[in-house]
Amino acid sequence: MKSDQGFFGRFGGSYIPEILHASQRELVAAWEEASVDADFLALVDREMQQYSGRPTPLTPCPNLSRTLGGAQVYLKREDLNHSGAHKMNNVIGQGLLVKRMGKKRIIAETGAGQHGVASALIAARLGLDCTVYMGARDIERQYPNVFWMKQLGATVVPVTSGAQTLRDALDEALRDWSSDPSGSHYLIGTACGPAPYPEMVAQFQSVIGREVRTQSLEQFGALPDRIYACVGGGSNAAGILLPFVDDAAVELVGIEAGGRGQAPGEHSIRLSDGLGSPGIAQGFATMFLQDDQGQLMETHSVAAGLDYVGVSPILAHLAETGRVRMSAAGDDETLSAFRTLLRHEGVIPALESAHAVAGALREIPKLSPEQRVVINISGRGDKDIFNVASALQDPEFNGFLQRYLEREAQA
Amino acid sequence: MSALQHFIETRRKDSEILLMTHVVYGYPTVDESLALMRDLLDTGVELLEVQFPFSDPSADGPSILNACHEALENKPTLSACLEDMAKLSRDYPDSRILLMSYLNPFYRYGLERLPKDAAQSGISGFIVPDLPLELAGAFRSACNDADVEPVWMLTPETPASRMQDICAAATGLLYCVSRRGVTGKSDGNAQPLDDYLAGIRTYTDLPLAVGFGIRDAAQVAALTGKADIAILGSGILDAFNAGGRAAVRDLVQSLRG
Repeated sequence: MKSDQGFFGRFGGSYIPEILHASQRELVAAWEEASVDADFLALVDREMQQYSGRPTPLTPCPNLSRTLGGAQVYLKREDLNHSGAHKMNNVIGQGLLVKRMGKKRIIAETGAGQHGVASALIAARLGLDCTVYMGARDIERQYPNVFWMKQLGATVVPVTSGAQTLRDALDEALRDWSSDPSGSHYLIGTACGPAPYPEMVAQFQSVIGREVRTQSLEQFGALPDRIYACVGGGSNAAGILLPFVDDAAVELVGIEAGGRGQAPGEHSIRLSDGLGSPGIAQGFATMFLQDDQGQLMETHSVAAGLDYVGVSPILAHLAETGRVRMSAAGDDETLSAFRTLLRHEGVIPALESAHAVAGALREIPKLSPEQRVVINISGRGDKDIFNVASALQDPEFNGFLQRYLEREAQA
Repeated sequence: MSALQHFIETRRKDSEILLMTHVVYGYPTVDESLALMRDLLDTGVELLEVQFPFSDPSADGPSILNACHEALENKPTLSACLEDMAKLSRDYPDSRILLMSYLNPFYRYGLERLPKDAAQSGISGFIVPDLPLELAGAFRSACNDADVEPVWMLTPETPASRMQDICAAATGLLYCVSRRGVTGKSDGNAQPLDDYLAGIRTYTDLPLAVGFGIRDAAQVAALTGKADIAILGSGILDAFNAGGRAAVRDLVQSLRG
């Protein structure tokens, strides 16, 4: 989706400190050139195939469809990307752009660590230095991802300010970029931030929706009737939904994290129920969760990847125009949907993606068996075993860890 | 010539270099921050930069970042801040107050009504690091109507053509960021400022204020003759954290020899 000088309706823009201005203009120019260069786009496609395993399948779910009794259910399997999530699409695209620009160092922010791992992977493959900012609290919660980033050669910097989560890591990444604007590239992980990031990241991710279009026509001879995606920063949703924006018959649905309830700090619902409001922060204008003084608020989700205070300006715009219908799924409903998908289809979604499943499960029984629904499984859940085991309150997991530590101490 | 520029040029006749000192409103409490502002004005600083805290100050280093987060625990409001500034500007007519924050608190208040309300509180200008000139149309015209100056920043990364554009649009003074990075201690690789400031001087006759990493008398002395105003932010805050208001008074009194 093309922006109007960096804006999508009243959202987007580039609200950055003056020190970053020249670098940001350089990036806009590089992206404008690369985005219409057939050789560059072919290089990105090739790397997505050869390194990440694309195209990812569109998997029919006969058991789930039978049980629900409504529409036919299909899953878009972004979980089968290298690194286990759609994040790989973006880092391949931006990584190759960094090489094209001749920069040698990337900076990334990460919440749960998926984007941090994806950035570290592409940095290793392309021979780039990589520094990842991660909230100290997130590091505590997601050490396995930190372990892999370090093994891959990235420098992981704990961020101890504020709530010590994704938002603080993003601020810190901007500060790093300010100290080396011409030598470093800020490889932002979602379709947020100043222009051209929202448009550029959405473009790299839109391979998801383009594949769904081709696969739908091949597998059932029509476009899907409805598509569901979870919405944190919004990159997987932008990726699967944007290629269908002009197909009026395809209903587009975004599912935010309803968390534990609608009290401040208990959820990450920016685009429905009137909980978010327009603001300008972290380099761009969008709908934020904020108080009456314009201070950004704390957020919560059982899925760390949805736990973000802002949202892609592209989705804020499409939600405002009504083209994307927004809804939310809470922690409990999400865990129940997670279990349902495991038992019926043998697919383990990331907890983020399980929100999209929850939103879909609620509505599918009301549809007719002739209709087809696609749910974006943006990532896989098996590698988040610590968080999933904790969320599911598995009775054996903690005992296993205790015994593991005892064995390691004796070894 | 704007009232702010006139004030600066008048005061420059008595002093080779003016001081702009920075305080975070609400840190460690609203009352203590106001007492610190009064101390600074009592020592004779010409310009006071008051930062209304924001949760995500992406151009600030650790000192100011932490002060903002602590200040927010006290739930400060911009309306109360403006009322406090009205008292301060009445009590210290020989100095000028600039209000600094990030865009979002100002945006929530209303970018079109803020300049008028601020002017009524005796505020002379705004510093908004994440508002670039090209996206500031409505705010600039509201400032113009209210006779308050939006202060624009220049940096060592700003290309010459953009410097010219910013200088052409600027009123009051120019905020010349001395180096890359965020506010606070530098990494020791201070770049020589002479060429940078001389370059800016070719584009504008406005007073030049220099900030980022300035914290002692030697640095202020080095700016004398090359800039009009030395800005101290994190240096003031670090002195306050180390030795309270007395340490800040000592620091400021030492700055101009």
